[in-house]
Formats: sequence, structure tokens, C-alpha cells
Amino acid sequence: MKPFKYLSPTTVEEAISFYGQHSETAKYVAGGTDVIVKVKEGWIEPDFLISLKKITELSDLHKNEATGELSIGAAVTHATLEKSLMIRNEYPIIYDAVSNIGSLQIRNVGTIGGNLINAVPSADGAIPMIALDGVVLLHGPDGERSCAVKDLFVSPYKTILKPGEILKKITIPPQRPHTGSAYIKFGRRAAMELPLIGIGVLLTVEDDLETCTKARICLGVAAPTPMRAFEAEKLLVGKKINEDILRQAGETAADESKVRDSVRGKAWHRKEMIRVQVRRMGLACMEIIWNNN
Amino acid sequence: MSNYNVVGKRIPKLDAAQKAMGRAEYIQDIKLPGMLYGKILYSKYAHAKIIKIDISKAKALPGVHAVLTGNDVPEKMKMGFYKDNPPIKKGKVCSFRDEVAAVAAKTPEIAKKALGLIEIEYEELEGIFDPEKAMEKESPLVHEHSKSNVLNLPWKLHYGDVEKAQEEAAFVVEDRFTTTWVTHCCMGTSGAVALFDASDNLTIYTNTQIPSLAQKDFLESLKAMGLKNKRVRVIKPIIGGGFGSKLDTYAYEHIAILLAHKCRKPVKLIFDRMEEFTATSTRQPAIIDIKQGCDKDGKLLFRDIKMILDNGAHTSWGATTPSVMMMPITSLYRVDNVRYDAKCVYTNNTYSQAMRGYGNPQATFAIESSIDMLAEKAGIDPIEFRRINRNHPGDITPQGFKITTCGMDLCLDTVEKELRKTASNEKSVGIGIASLIHVGGGARIYKSDGCGAILKIDDYGKVDVFTGGTDMGQGLDNITAQIVAEELGLLVEDINVVHSDTDVCPWDVGAHASRSTFVAGNAALGAAKKVKAKLLEFGSEILDTPAESLVLRDRLIFVPNDPEKSMPIDKLLRKAHFSPGGTMLMADHFYDPANENLGKDFKGNMSMTYTFGVHGVRVKVDEETGKVQVLEYVAAHDVGQAINPLLLEGQVYGGVVMGLGYALSEEVVHQNGKNMNANFRDYKLFTAKDAVKITAYVFETPDEEGPFGAKGIGEPGCVPTAPAIANAIYDAVGVRITNLPITPEKVLAAIKEKKKRPLN
Ligand SMILES: Cc1cc2nc3c(=O)[nH]c(=O)nc-3n(C[C@H](O)[C@H](O)[C@H](O)COP(=O)(O)OP(=O)(O)OC[C@H]3O[C@@H](n4cnc5c(N)ncnc54)[C@H](O)[C@@H]3O)c2cc1C
Repeated sequence: MKPFKYLSPTTVEEAISFYGQHSETAKYVAGGTDVIVKVKEGWIEPDFLISLKKITELSDLHKNEATGELSIGAAVTHATLEKSLMIRNEYPIIYDAVSNIGSLQIRNVGTIGGNLINAVPSADGAIPMIALDGVVLLHGPDGERSCAVKDLFVSPYKTILKPGEILKKITIPPQRPHTGSAYIKFGRRAAMELPLIGIGVLLTVEDDLETCTKARICLGVAAPTPMRAFEAEKLLVGKKINEDILRQAGETAADESKVRDSVRGKAWHRKEMIRVQVRRMGLACMEIIWNNN
Repeated sequence: MSNYNVVGKRIPKLDAAQKAMGRAEYIQDIKLPGMLYGKILYSKYAHAKIIKIDISKAKALPGVHAVLTGNDVPEKMKMGFYKDNPPIKKGKVCSFRDEVAAVAAKTPEIAKKALGLIEIEYEELEGIFDPEKAMEKESPLVHEHSKSNVLNLPWKLHYGDVEKAQEEAAFVVEDRFTTTWVTHCCMGTSGAVALFDASDNLTIYTNTQIPSLAQKDFLESLKAMGLKNKRVRVIKPIIGGGFGSKLDTYAYEHIAILLAHKCRKPVKLIFDRMEEFTATSTRQPAIIDIKQGCDKDGKLLFRDIKMILDNGAHTSWGATTPSVMMMPITSLYRVDNVRYDAKCVYTNNTYSQAMRGYGNPQATFAIESSIDMLAEKAGIDPIEFRRINRNHPGDITPQGFKITTCGMDLCLDTVEKELRKTASNEKSVGIGIASLIHVGGGARIYKSDGCGAILKIDDYGKVDVFTGGTDMGQGLDNITAQIVAEELGLLVEDINVVHSDTDVCPWDVGAHASRSTFVAGNAALGAAKKVKAKLLEFGSEILDTPAESLVLRDRLIFVPNDPEKSMPIDKLLRKAHFSPGGTMLMADHFYDPANENLGKDFKGNMSMTYTFGVHGVRVKVDEETGKVQVLEYVAAHDVGQAINPLLLEGQVYGGVVMGLGYALSEEVVHQNGKNMNANFRDYKLFTAKDAVKITAYVFETPDEEGPFGAKGIGEPGCVPTAPAIANAIYDAVGVRITNLPITPEKVLAAIKEKKKRPLN
């Protein structure tokens, strides 16, 4: 492993100025569960690692009860999300996703921001953030900007982030009543598993607890970046949700996906899992909605 | 029932705390003055000619002390029993794992950099990766000097008359089963540190399960290097897992020796995790065609098996697994007519090694899956079918195995009772069982199946046992200490077991074949008995009482119910030592069980005793995803006497979890000879979260020959797991998966096939 210098700024501005000094020879690091692996393997060889851990605002997790907006600091760990009752009760899809990331040790240090910026097609944390219409706030040498999480990803390991930009937080807009959400990572093992396919579904229904007003169907490992199955979503909106229509949505989502054969799994099986799990996650959403009513 | 003081007690592993606290010293921790770091360059092709190697740039790199290529390896330096594998290849590479060069440098980083500076020109050759294709005449030869890719090995037997039995059989089933590469996944990666003294004697620190045979291999290497009449000292640090992976010597060890000799400095060569996956040997994969038949009452009449084993490009113990597969093939259940024929075939894939069970899990997967199929065809409940055909104490099997103790009936009853506790009419839920036989009293695969032990006892009643047996994490040190403490009336903490050094420890054939408790245990017990006899002799003199009336227990020597006649053992020892003509107690013992080498037709009583077991499992299959969930697992074994139930259960739990990985998730994925998943992310080793609750039943069937009645139990835990799972899946959803691992993908494909819905 090539040696590096470890810098610990305490503000976003300081971090950006460190980056300004060292530019490409520097790399931001949060939990380091992706970065350090790459450094050890020799895939990247930064001279400086700029840690974001001491920047307190990045570790802030709170819900604004007045607006209903949820704010997740980029450096919030998976374990923090997993252990938050508020997350578990109100954003079950986040809980489903983060509570099955890697292992206890990985969840204790790995962050949601790192998960997004690392930008692999299998990022478990990305799916709920997309399904919940999350918006990222970026801060760089040229100031702040924001964009939807779904537009953050360009290709494997590549986001729209410009050099030196920091992801500050993810904002989740208020959820409408009668909303349910669920995620499943389908793989061979119960832990330390890269999903063969990741499926997140969010449904909002009218007061009749049947008619769909909003649907999000998000897929991991189904394309080069985490994706939404727009056609499948469209199919559900305005319809009464039942097993049948969810089955159709599953079919459509499977058709929309761009799954591939790889040594990890065959495309036909991934497609089949999309079919089955979109339906199952949809039903799980409805159960949550009914239970909460 | 027993009156033992130390044996049979649940004494935690003596080194557990030390390991948990990170204090144990593994090969990685060894650092010697002036030590250099070695690194190996592997082939870029599965099959290619080496046209040119240019090492000049690597040699010129500051900090590099030596660069070796195949040209620097003496002609006679070859590894493996088939002697087809030089530690660095010359002229040609036959697999991705083939070593083409090695360096020694001041730091690991420099060594790595130097590898990058070695320039090699290859001319790629057509590779052959399918053993069946490799058997065809037109196929390219992996080694041009041999006329065929089929190895010249004798794996063939026929007892009774299979043809005739087949004609008589009322029911016959036939199928093909295949198993793939899996790997040991030792938490401690491989490594060695080699150094020579001024007179060219070698000391090598290495993770090995076979210190004495490794010493022999290294002596041969020295001889090949022109170093005659030299000494080799093998030192084992604490080993982070063996499972059979360390039963042979590897290129890295011989390369470390060559580098150390060339540099005249200690050279350390440690594998990283990727090398551990790509450059150590796997479990032997097998293509198994099996046919079995029974009469109308379910009595097994014949078993006919043909196998093709992918030998890979070179030969290690994987190619000898048929010798052990013969055991379940000829002797699991009563079957008079048996035929077996196995061919080992060179390919450009990786080569295999011993791995827990040594072929038995592969063979048992086919046999026990096929038994269920046969039972179904005969219309007999599969458990009942096994009961009809089970082994009995006193049986002599067609191969000539003398079954002494056998608890198979008990195991069958227990597993059935456990599984039937829960009514099983839930949809997609099923149960399956499978049995096993394994050697339990050593196994004579070498000229000697022996082990030596030397024992000495000091003035304070503290014992040192120098044993040939190897503790590689399985807990042999505990077992040895418990056996000796029991015999001498001492406590476990009084016994120090030294197993680490061929300069001080006697000979042993190796930690394999579930033999160490039995053989090394008997060696230590034999030495302890000799010391005990002397203790009793002294005691008799000093306490003025007949030796027969004396008891050794809890550090005391005494006559029961006679408080006058009692003395602490240490005091007795001091009296013996510090009197005129004083003496100290020590003894040695070499135990070689009276088991037999297999004869020409592979007949012979290979082991002093055999271990039996039955595993039962309840699974739930998700019919839409193909995922198999293990709901319940029962493992019943007949073990002779558990010297330490805690460790014994540990062996069963560990074995079962390893077996579950073999059954459901693990495989080394090779594409045209290249390892595609050389990391723990993609190699699906079971995790703690995947482990299931295992109920381990331990039946004590004290064996006459075993130390305090013990039989071996190291390997059995992983032997019948895969067929038990496959049988349960069949019971649950009616599909029979015949190739491992049984992934969700395969199960779903089979379910769809059954429902005749097309895949897309
Ligand atoms: C054993 C193991 C198991 C794993 N299992 C899973 C799993 O099950 N599911 C899964 O999705 N992932 C898994 N991962 C991957 C990884 O743990 C997660 O992606 C984790 O969330 C990364 O977060 P981190 O804080 O450690 O990122 P880091 O390694 O610190 O950073 C990752 C990337 O993001 C950048 N970065 C981090 N924070 C910011 C920020 N605020 N602004 C701008 N750039 C930033 C870094 O520069 C780097 O490029 C696993 C990793 C390991 C080693």
C-alpha cells in the first residue's frame, strides 16, 4: 500500500481548500470502506486522504417536523440509520437497505454519502434514496448546487460530482400519507453480500387505501447505474393495487431492466427476480400502508 | 457413565483467548534479522509457450536481491507424488496458476514492483478445460511428454458381480452428479520463511499439516540443489486453518528455499488473499456416473460408479481422492457387488488437493442422492430404505473393512425422531437425510500411519509432551493434554504440548484422515502409561503399599479411603529426583495402528475403526426465487468417546457449515482456466449470519482401540451435508439437483423445467 497523508478538516470549506491545494493527488474519505480497499489494492494512489469525519454538520440526521422534510448528512453511517426508530418506522425502505449492508463492522463506519458517491450499480443505499425522491446538496469550489439522487449517477464509479465537490446531505421531501416502501437485496448469502439484484418499491395510495397516486420502482444491478423502471411505475399510477397489477408491473420492470449475464448470476434469473420481487415489495408496501392506517 | 476426571470434560480451547486477543503468532508475524521478502509471478495464460523471459530490469531495481526463473530450478526439483510440477515452470505454462518467476527484495513493495518489470514473451496455445473433452484423442496435450491427458493411476475395482446383480435387481436408478471446485478459505493465508545456516542446513517456518513429510520433501529439494547430507528443520507457527490445504508442499515453500539459498538471507513469502484463492489447491471436482439397484424388498444389490476427475495441470493429492472415495463406494451400507472406475485427466485448470473428507463428500453426494432416488423407485421410505441396508458392528465390507463399533442405527433413529417432531405438510417444505462412513482410527495411506510422543515431567508435576501431531486450530493440543492429564492424575493446565518443531518433536505422518485424536492421542497415551507405571512404582515404595492399590487423581497419588497413604504427585516426583541415585521421569512412545495398506485390488482394513453418522435437514424452498432456507439441521455421529465434547461439537458445527457452503453457495468460478472470483465478496463462503442452528447428537460407542475409546471426527461433519440438502429439496418441491452448489438459479431453473415454462 502506498503511504498517504491523512488530513482532518473540521469544516466543509476547509476540506474544499485542502482539495484546492492538492487537487488530483487528494481523495475525500468518509468511512473509507470503499476508498481504503482501493488504496490497498493499488487501484488508486492518493498522496492525501481528506477525511470528512470531523465535519460535524455532515453527520447530522434529523427530520424537520414542521415541514416533514428529512435531512441525512452525507457522513451519517449505515448503523446510525439502521438504529434510528424514526427511520425504521417512517422510511422502512431505508432501513431495509442499510440494515443488510456488508457486516456490522462495515455498517458502523460506512456512510450513506460514500455509498452514493462510490456509485456502483449495486449500491444498496442508492435505491431508497432514489425511491424517496431524494435530492443531494453538493458543495464545491464554485459554491452549492443540488440535484435529484436519480440523476447523480453517470456510470459505474462515476457521478456528476466535479473535482473537489463534497456531498453535504441528502434531503427527502415530506412523504404523503398512505405511503409504504420496501427494499430487498436478493443474493446467495445473508451477510457480506453483493446483491444479485436489488429491488425497492414505494407506493402511495388514496384514502381508499387502494388507488395508487405515486409509484417508484427502483432497481440495483439492473443497469450500469441504479435505475428507475418508469414504465412499470406508470402502469400502477391511477390503478387499484392488487397482486395482479403488481405482477404486471414486475413484468414491465423486468423488460425495462438492462440486466446482464455475469459470473455472479445469469440475466434470466435476475429478470425473474425483478418480476417476483417487484410484486412482493409492492405487497409489502400495501401491508405497511394498511398497518399504519 | 465414565469415571473420568479430565477426559469427557468440556474444556475450552487452551489457546482461544490468546488468539482472540491477537497475541497468537502466525507465520505473518515472523520477522528475522536481515529478512527479505519473496514474491511470485504467475502465468498470464492458461496454456502457452514461454518464448523469452527478460529479468534484467527487475534485477536492476534497487533493493532486489534475486530474480529466479525456471532456468534456476534444478531439474530434479519437482513437487507432488506424481512429480510433474517444478516450483517454477520452464519453457511452457499449463495454467494461470503456473509460477514463471520469483523475486526476493528488501521490502514487499519492491518485490511487487520487480515482478512488474519482468518481461515475458508468450506464445499462446490452445487450452483444454473440460476433462471429458481432454480425454478425446484430438485434444491438445497439457503435457506433450505424456501420450494422453489421462493420468496413469490405478483407480479401478470390482467386487462381486455387478452385471449379474443388475440383472437380478428389481429396481435400478442411474444418474450423473457433478461437483465443482471449492476452496478451504483458511483465515490465515499461506506462507513460509526459509533460511540457511552457515553450513547450508535449512530451517523453514511454514504452515503445514505434515511436518515430517514436508521435511522429507524439502530434503529432496536440497538434494536436487546439490546440497547433500544437510539437515532440514521444519517449524510450524500457529496455523490459521488447514482443512487439508497443507497436506502437500507448495511451490511457494520451495521457492522460498531457492531464494534463501541464493541470497543467503532469510526469505519470507506470504500469500495475499487473492493468491490464497488462485494459487492454493481446491477440493477435487468430480463428474460421477452412478447406477444402483436393489431387490423388491429394498435390499441394495449393486453399486456401479464411473468418475472423471479434472486433475488440472499438475498433480497433488486431489488425484488420490479416489482411494478414499472407495470407502463410501464399497462400504456405505451393505452392498456386495461394487464396481468403481475413476480417471484423472489433465486440463489447463487449477489442480486439487486434500480437503476435509478427502473425496468422501463428492462420492457421498452421488451415493446418497442416488439412494433416495432408488428408495423412491422401490416405493420405500428413504429412512426405512437406509435402515434396511445399514452397516452393522462385526460386518466386513467388500473392501475388507472390519466394522468394529457402528452407531448408524442409533443415528438413523435419532435423526428420524427429530425430523418427525414437526409435522411436515407445509407447502415447499421438505426433509432429507444422508449417512456417512469415514475412517475413525487412522488410515494407512503411507508406509507408516504412526505418530511419536515424548513425555517428561518436572519437579513440580508439570509435563511437557512433545508430539508429532499437528494442531492447526482443531484443538489437538487440548485433546493431547486431556489424555495425558487423565492418565497421570493431573490437570490440563499441568500439561504443555509442544508440536511445533521437527528438531524436538518425533515423527508423524500428518494431520489428516481424522486420525490425530486416535493416533497422536494413542501415542501420547502410550508415553503417559509408561510414566504412570514409574510413578506407581515410586509411590508404592514411598507410601509402602502395593502399586495396584494406588490411584492418581487431582495431582495426588493415594490409596482410596486411606488418608495416611496419600501424597501430592509433585512431592513424590521431588523425592524420586532428590534422593541418592535420583531419577526424573520421562518416556517415549511410537504408536502405529495395526491398520493395513490397501492391497492390489484395494482390499484391506484401512483403519482400525470407522466413524458413522447421519445428518437430517428440513428446508423450505422459495419456489419463485429458487432460494433454499435451512429450517432445521440434525447431525448425529457415533464418536467412540468424546475426549472433549465442546471441541467435538465444534468439529461437527464447523463441518456442517462447511458442508452447507459446499451444498448451497460455494464455488470457485473458472472461465477458461481463469479464477473469476478470487475474493470473499464473490466466493460465497457461508457467513455467521448464514449459519443455521445445528443440533449435534454425539453417541458414545467406546472403541476398543481408541484412546479412552475415542474415534476420529474431524472430517465427517461435512461429508453428508450436500446430499441431505439435495434430498430435502426434492422432498420439498420435487426437483433433483445433481450438481453443486445448489444455487437459487439452478433450483429455479429446475422448478421451471418441471413446470415446463420456458426460460427467457
Ligand atoms: C466488506 C465490505 C462489504 C460491503 N458491503 C456492501 C453492501 O452490502 N452494500 C453496499 O452497498 N456496499 C457495500 N460495501 C461498500 C461500502 O461499504 C459502502 O459503499 C459504503 O457506504 C461506503 O461508504 P464509506 O463512508 O466507507 O465511503 P468511502 O470509502 O469513505 O468513500 C467512497 C467514495 O465516496 C467519496 N466520498 C465519500 N463521502 C463523500 C462526500 N461526502 N462527498 C464527496 N465524496 C465523498 C470518496 O471519495 C470515495 O470516492 C461494502 C464494502 C466492504 C469493504
